[in-house]
Amino acid sequence: MFDYHALAPELIVGGTLMAALLADLVLPEERKYLVGVVGIVGLVAALFPLLTLGFCEDLGFCSGATERVMFGGSYVVDDFALVMKGLFLVTGVISILMSVGYIESERYYQGEFYWLIVASVTGAVVMASSRDLITVFIGLELVSGPAFLLAGWRKGDVRSNEAALKFFLIGVLSAAILLFGMSLVYGLTGEITFEGIRAASATLADEPAFVMGVIFVLVGFGFKISAVPFHFWAPDTYQGAPTPVAAYLSVGSKAAGFVGLLTVCYLAFSEVASIWGPALWLLAALSMTIGNLTALKQTNIVRLLGFSSVAHAGFVLVPFAMAASYDAEGLQSAFFASITYLLVYAFMNLGAFAVVIAVAAKTGSAELDDWAGLSRYAPVPAVLLAVFFFSLAGIPPLAGWFAKLVMFRAVLGGTGAWGAALAVIAAVNAVIALAYYARVVKTAFMDPVPATVPLADAGAPIAPALVLALGVTAAVVVVAGFYPPILSFFGDAARALAFGG
Amino acid sequence: MIVNQFLVLGALLFSIGVYGVLVRRNAVLVLLSIELMLAAVNINLVAFGAFVDDAAAAGQVFALFVITVAAAEVGIGLAIVVLIFRNRSSANVDELDLMKW
Amino acid sequence: MTQYFQDYITVAVFAAFGVLLVLIAVGASALLRPKNPTPAKSASYECGMDPVGGGWSQTQVRFYIYGLLFLIFDVEAVFIFPWAVRLEQLGGFALVEMAIFIAILLGGLAYAVRKGVLRWES
Repeated sequence: MFDYHALAPELIVGGTLMAALLADLVLPEERKYLVGVVGIVGLVAALFPLLTLGFCEDLGFCSGATERVMFGGSYVVDDFALVMKGLFLVTGVISILMSVGYIESERYYQGEFYWLIVASVTGAVVMASSRDLITVFIGLELVSGPAFLLAGWRKGDVRSNEAALKFFLIGVLSAAILLFGMSLVYGLTGEITFEGIRAASATLADEPAFVMGVIFVLVGFGFKISAVPFHFWAPDTYQGAPTPVAAYLSVGSKAAGFVGLLTVCYLAFSEVASIWGPALWLLAALSMTIGNLTALKQTNIVRLLGFSSVAHAGFVLVPFAMAASYDAEGLQSAFFASITYLLVYAFMNLGAFAVVIAVAAKTGSAELDDWAGLSRYAPVPAVLLAVFFFSLAGIPPLAGWFAKLVMFRAVLGGTGAWGAALAVIAAVNAVIALAYYARVVKTAFMDPVPATVPLADAGAPIAPALVLALGVTAAVVVVAGFYPPILSFFGDAARALAFGG
Repeated sequence: MIVNQFLVLGALLFSIGVYGVLVRRNAVLVLLSIELMLAAVNINLVAFGAFVDDAAAAGQVFALFVITVAAAEVGIGLAIVVLIFRNRSSANVDELDLMKW
Repeated sequence: MTQYFQDYITVAVFAAFGVLLVLIAVGASALLRPKNPTPAKSASYECGMDPVGGGWSQTQVRFYIYGLLFLIFDVEAVFIFPWAVRLEQLGGFALVEMAIFIAILLGGLAYAVRKGVLRWES
């Protein structure tokens, strides 16, 4: 029968969905925030089975391997899946915390808003365990479907509408391309599980239709992780969507895309790394360079973060762009670097968006010019702004430097000119990125306060839930920066995937 | 069993869909073109499913899932298009240019 | 290969007969019937009522929501057919699974009812 212990996180999140739906039906309008509470409780509750599964042996629940294979190899709960599920659940909780104050001020459809975030997180949690093409596809669509609606949440605002339509059309288009690739891969290997595809694909590396299938799958995921040249929807969508939704999209939905890409590349296509290695090299180099150069010119902070998230997607891709030329140990170190970067990026980017929400509530705008002299009237948000932006730039002792360090270590660990070239591109980009992050901080601390700032609002307290979100993310970013083993523990736990299978 | 003619049909449909996405201005027609691409995927999957003849009939099952997910997405997409039409009384995608570089 | 294409000859013969049959029926009636058109005769038939308005008319936007709901619930039925065909082999657990699936769908319907989507007010 089924392993209910291994499925417990999914079952709890699914149950939470139904509970939140019913809660939304019975609650009166002024108590709708309770739906958010139901969502948070459910997501936090789902973290406990993750812990009992992860430390299964230590707790005496089970013996032997922690890897649990279900449904004929289609669904696997291993350490990698547990770490990623944890990341998605925490991302969901922080996103809901960030939304509470923001959505309440908008005054409509609160209940559905929280419900859709939980639904999207459900998809991401399923993604982390899925080891066949159908499950990956269902998970990915469950992540994006609710996200389309969330992006268009401000119904009357044309920008929000535009964000939703762009996101939707690109999302569905990428799904169609991904599916076409999957259909070719399935047809040529005759297998739907990653394990079977790997076994059958060794002889197919020169088969044109198979190469096309692999490339189509990469392009489909490229849209989801907003890597250049498939990135153009991301900044528009982030700017038009409600800011908490932009935060969720840039972390949760993007990380889900990365999980899909990582599992597909390492598990299903590991025999044909010569196809996807060079393609990812190109994606990584383009994403970093174009993302950062375009971010330099931005005047809107949310848009700036949008392009910075494109650039960070490039940084995450750097280690495993070189994977094709690595041996088993190098492959593990590349995998470890990607996961660690993703974990660090999730917290610092969520934090950066939380600061943007907090400050935009004070200044009434997300334009950089309106943020001048922020430290005069809002010192605490200004300091947090500096913390998260310098962490994104990779300045020690904040968590971002550790992410960059493992990334460079992984890419320089290999041999050959291509790895060195990519490392040089990444290094140049780290410097470019510093320029625009530092510009924001400089504006907030050095420039005079413009006359347009409504100082009456500036004294208003920040919503308690938002304070909690800021506190958690800031704590993780600072503590992990001083003591990196906290995060590398999770990266280490996840690294076994690269050759464990 | 010959699979080629189904694949040619699938590839043609897919190409027509891509053409429609790139050329059409009306959002509803873009949506229809994407549906065409998904139909091409279904043809591929069902044809391959019959061709490789695995016990689990994975191709057919996959096609069922694609159909349902496509229906759900059309629901979401039409809702967004109606929203845009209400606010701007036009559903042309090339007029969506409020936000640029 | 040739066997494969020969199978299509049967289809072609059937198609040719089908077309021929229609041509004969319509052609014979065109030759035999008296020809005396009036405006009432050439109007399109709408169950005996006089047709109102043109063929291109706007529909109430409410139909759209019904259409969406119909689409979603209709397409979910696609999972029920394979399940029904295989139910005897799959056994009792599959029955419970489908009950859960339908219960979740009913949750969606309950949501639509509670939000007043199905109420028709003009």
